[in-house]
Amino acid sequence: MIAAAAAGGVGDMLRDTAETFGWNPWLFFSQVISFAIVALLLRRFAYKPIVAVLEDRRRKIEEGQLNAEKIRKELAEAEKRYQEILAKADADAQRMIDEARQSAAHLSERKQQEAIAASEQIVAKAKEAASLEHERQMQALKRELGHLVIETTAKVTGKVLTPEDQKRLQEEAARQVA
Amino acid sequence: MRNRCLLTSILALASSTMLATSTFASEAVEHDTVSLKATPLVHFGKFAITNSMLVTWIVALGIIFFAQIAMRRIQPIPSGIQNFWEWLVESLYNFLEGIIGRDLVRKTFWFFATIFIFILFVNWFGLIPGVGTIGWGHYDATGVFHVDRPLLRGGNADLNMTTAMSAIFFVLWLVWALQANGVGGFLKHLFAAKGETTGFIKVMMAVIFFMVGWLEIVSILFRPISLSFRLFGNIYAGESILEAMSTMVPYLSWLLPIPFYFMELLVGVVQALVFMLLTAVFTMLIAQHNTGPEHAH
Repeated sequence: MIAAAAAGGVGDMLRDTAETFGWNPWLFFSQVISFAIVALLLRRFAYKPIVAVLEDRRRKIEEGQLNAEKIRKELAEAEKRYQEILAKADADAQRMIDEARQSAAHLSERKQQEAIAASEQIVAKAKEAASLEHERQMQALKRELGHLVIETTAKVTGKVLTPEDQKRLQEEAARQVA
Repeated sequence: MRNRCLLTSILALASSTMLATSTFASEAVEHDTVSLKATPLVHFGKFAITNSMLVTWIVALGIIFFAQIAMRRIQPIPSGIQNFWEWLVESLYNFLEGIIGRDLVRKTFWFFATIFIFILFVNWFGLIPGVGTIGWGHYDATGVFHVDRPLLRGGNADLNMTTAMSAIFFVLWLVWALQANGVGGFLKHLFAAKGETTGFIKVMMAVIFFMVGWLEIVSILFRPISLSFRLFGNIYAGESILEAMSTMVPYLSWLLPIPFYFMELLVGVVQALVFMLLTAVFTMLIAQHNTGPEHAH
């Protein structure tokens, strides 16, 4: 009974409050329908177009940022590749220069050795030729001197020298020259 | 809070002044007071179109018209009213996104935007001279015209309107909560014990959280009531103050309301913001489990 009385009291209080503030269920449902229609109309005609534009713009900005990030990464990679290629080219060039230097040094050394060998050969040949010439000159000198000694001896002695005398004088003269 | 205290004090002062004035004045002079009730203009059976409802339609049509004009020729670099409309909506979108998270704002923005922009402009529309003072009435003994059935009434100065908004929010909140958590998750959110406990403590916590869950339900059921009465009370109080200031000293009726008009402009923004923030936070609190850790504030 107490609960029922309390419930009745609360009910009366609610009814009085509603009456005081002008709240009644039919006006409330009228407002619910009205606000639901208003909210749906605002959603369809006021917010949907602009939210679509804003989301599209936001999507484009995000895509742009992603693309920019992608391009930045690609640029960094390209820069890295460029540096690597440049470093490799530098290394290759350096290696080629070193090889060229080495090769040039070897070639120079070899040519120098060849030149030395050739010059030594030329010198040796020249020496040999000179020696031969000297030998030949000496032989000619000896022969000439032998003839001169024989002629002189023949004239001085006034006799005809035998071949043996001539041979002996020639040998004597040649020995004196040598 | 201080504003509300100030508002209440001013209202009390104004009311007492009006009471004193009416006590000392002769019975022949009538003083206008703002009615607590909206006036039905047209009846459809038991349903009715009230003067406050008419204001909501006018404001809604105004917003739609403005939005359509603003978005008629969309430019990549916005200017003029497109710029203003984009600024308003985008600021609101980003603000809500910061509170309730990206996923939830996509789903619920239309409602919270309606709540804020619509309540704001309905509040401000109620401040336009003529709202509440143009309508059907009678002449008193001194020949002064008194409006009995105003054609227009501040939309949120009608408790039916604010309870309707709160009720629609409550239904949407329930739908979003069930979508986010499922029926089981929703009940678990209300009644399940939080935190990692074991043994006897776990049993105790389960019992405590089960009881707390019922308190939570009572709290949830009272949300529409608190939301609707807060908005109605503030707007109705504002209208009453303006009315009192306009009639208290007749030869200063052009001057006295002006400071209060500025205050009511501010109250209009604050109340729209409060209603929107509370509804957004209530939604975030129930749906935060499925919106990711970065959004769970």
